[in-house]
Amino acid sequence: MSAMAYIAVSFLVVPLVIIIIINLIQRDFAKKICIYLAGASAAIQMASSAVEFFMLSANRLHEYRFTLLWNMEEDAEHFGVTSLSLVVMFCIGFVSFISALIALRTIDKRKIYYVNLLMTLVLGMNGMVIVTDLFSLYVFLEIVGISSFVLIALFRSETGLEGAFKYLVMSALASIFILTGLSLIFMQTGSLLYSKIGSNILIAEDGTKQTLAYVALIFLISGFAVKTGAVPFHSWLPDAHQSADTAVSILLSGIVIKVAGVYSFIVLTDLFKNVPAINTVLAILGILSIITGALLALRQTHFKRIAAYSSVSQMGYILLGLSTGSTLGLVGVVAHIFNHATFKSALFANAAALHEQTGTLDIDEMGGLQSRMPVTGFSNIAAFLSTAGIPPFAGFWSKLLIIMALWNRGFRVFAGIALFSSILTAAYYLRLQKKVFFGKLPDKYADLKEIGGTVRFAEIILTVVIIAAGVCFPLALLYLKGRGIL
Amino acid sequence: MEAVIYTCLGLMLIFGVMAVMFHSMTKSAIALAAASAALGAIMYETGAIWSALLEISVCSGLVTVIFISAISLSNMDKKELEKVYEDKKRMSLLPVVLILSGAVLVIAALSAGVSLPHADASAKAAGDLREILWNNRQADIWGQIIVMITGAAAVSVLFRESDWK
Repeated sequence: MSAMAYIAVSFLVVPLVIIIIINLIQRDFAKKICIYLAGASAAIQMASSAVEFFMLSANRLHEYRFTLLWNMEEDAEHFGVTSLSLVVMFCIGFVSFISALIALRTIDKRKIYYVNLLMTLVLGMNGMVIVTDLFSLYVFLEIVGISSFVLIALFRSETGLEGAFKYLVMSALASIFILTGLSLIFMQTGSLLYSKIGSNILIAEDGTKQTLAYVALIFLISGFAVKTGAVPFHSWLPDAHQSADTAVSILLSGIVIKVAGVYSFIVLTDLFKNVPAINTVLAILGILSIITGALLALRQTHFKRIAAYSSVSQMGYILLGLSTGSTLGLVGVVAHIFNHATFKSALFANAAALHEQTGTLDIDEMGGLQSRMPVTGFSNIAAFLSTAGIPPFAGFWSKLLIIMALWNRGFRVFAGIALFSSILTAAYYLRLQKKVFFGKLPDKYADLKEIGGTVRFAEIILTVVIIAAGVCFPLALLYLKGRGIL
Repeated sequence: MEAVIYTCLGLMLIFGVMAVMFHSMTKSAIALAAASAALGAIMYETGAIWSALLEISVCSGLVTVIFISAISLSNMDKKELEKVYEDKKRMSLLPVVLILSGAVLVIAALSAGVSLPHADASAKAAGDLREILWNNRQADIWGQIIVMITGAAAVSVLFRESDWK
C-alpha cells in the first residue's frame, strides 16, 4: 500500500480505533483520557487531510481511489478522495478538535458517551465525503443524523430532549424525501454510482420518465434542504443548536449542517449539472435563507439562538454560490464552508466562555463585559466582522467570490441582495456585541474574570485562524490560479 | 404473486394507520411491527430475500423491543397518557386521508406504467448477495458496521437505567 492509501484509510480507521480503545480500557481511566483521545484523532485527521491534499496536488490527480481491507471488482463502488473532499475533511477535523477543547471544560459527566458519539459523527461525515454512490451517501447521512440527535439529547434535559426530538422528526422527514428520490433515480438508471448516473437520466425521450426524474430531484432537494437548515426547512435548527451543550452546538453549526446538507447539494449539482432548474431552486432557497435568517436573528435575545439563525443566513450564501454552477462559485462555496466553520466555532466558543462565567446566555442580562473578558470580546469582534464579510477578515473573501460568481453568471439581483444582506448580518451582531460587551457592567458581574484553560485556548486559536485566513487568502487564490483552477 | 403483494400492501396500510391511531403506545408499537412484517413479506415476494429477512428481524423484532422498552421506561400514568392523546380525536379523518392518498399513489403508479420488479432476476441476484456485497458494496458494509456502533452508543445514552433513577 502507498502512503496515500494509508492516509486515506486512516479517515475511517482512526475514529473506529478510538471507539474500541475507550470502550475496552478500564472505565475510570477511559473517563480521564477519552476527550484527549478524541482531540488527538481530530488533530490526526487535520494533518492527514492536509498531507493528502498536497500529495494529490503534487501528483496532479483529480481523485485517489482506495478500498478498505479488501479489494473489489474494477467497476464496483469504491471510496475516493478529491481536493474538495479533503478540504471538507480538514474542516471536520478542525471543528471536532475545537469541540473537544470546549468539551474539556463544559462536559463533566457522560464524557465517554460524548466521545463515542463524536467519533461516530466524524465517521459518518468522513464516510459521506469519500463514498462514490448515492445510497452509501444516504447510509452515512443517517449515521450523522443519529449521532447528532443523541448528542443534542446527551444530558437528557427537557430542552435538550425537545431540541433532539424536533431534529429527529425533521431528519426522519428528510430521510423519507431522500430515499424516495433515490428510489425514483434507481428506477431510471439501475445504478446509484456517481459515475453511472450523470445527466443521462434526463435525456430519456419518454415524458413519464423525465417527469419522474424531476420528481426525484424535487424530493432530493427538499431532503437535503432540511439537513442544511435552509428556509423554509429550518424550524429544527435554532432549537437544536440552542438546547445542545455548547461543545455539541459547535459541531452542529460548525460542520454537521455543511456536510449533511451542503456537501450533498455539491454532489447533486455535480451529478445534474445540465439541469438549470436545480440552480434556480438553490438560488431561491439561498436568498430566502439569507434574508429570513438575518431578520429572525435580529429579534433574538439568546446568544446561541442568534448564532443559530446566523447559520441559516450563512447557509444561504453557500447555496447561492452553488447555484452559479461555476468554478468560481464552487471555490467561493468551499472557502465559505471553511470560513463559516472557523467564525461560527469562535462564536460558540465565546458562548461557552460567557455561559461558564456568567451562568446565562440571555444578552439582555449582560453588558460591559469587554473590560472583564477582553479575550472573549476581541474574539467575538473578529468572528462577527468575518461573518459580516468585512475586509480583511476571512469571510470577506469567500463572500466576494460568491458575489462575483453570481455577477458573472448574470444573477445580478441576487448578487445585490447578497451584498446588502451583509448589512443585516452586521446589524444583528453589532446589537449582540453592544448588549454583551459594551455599556455599563451590571454590579453582579463586578468580580467576573476572563475564562481560562482550554476554552480561552480555543478562542485564541480561532481568532488567529480567522485573521490569518483573511490575510493569506490572496495566496490561496494565486495557488488556485497557478494550478489552472481559476 | 401479485395478489399476495397487493394484500400485503393493504395490510401494511391498515397496520400503519392502526399504529398512528391507537391510544395505547404498546399497541401502536405492535401494529408498527405488523406493518413492518407486511413490508418484509412484500420484499420476499419481489425477490429481495435478504432485505426481507433484515426487515423482519431488525424492524419487526428489534425495533419493537426497543419501542416497548422505551415505553416501559417512560412510566407515564394511564390517565395522563389519555390526556396527551386527546388530540387524536381531532384526527379522526386521518385514516380516510391516508387511504385516499394510498389510492392516489396506486393510480399514479399504474397510469405511469410502473411495473413490479421481475422476481426471477431479483431472486438470482439475492442468491449471490454475499458476493455482490463483498465485491461491489464495500462502503455499505462499513456503513452498516458504523450504524450498529452508533445505534449501540445511542441506546446506551438514552436508555441507561441507572441514569434515569
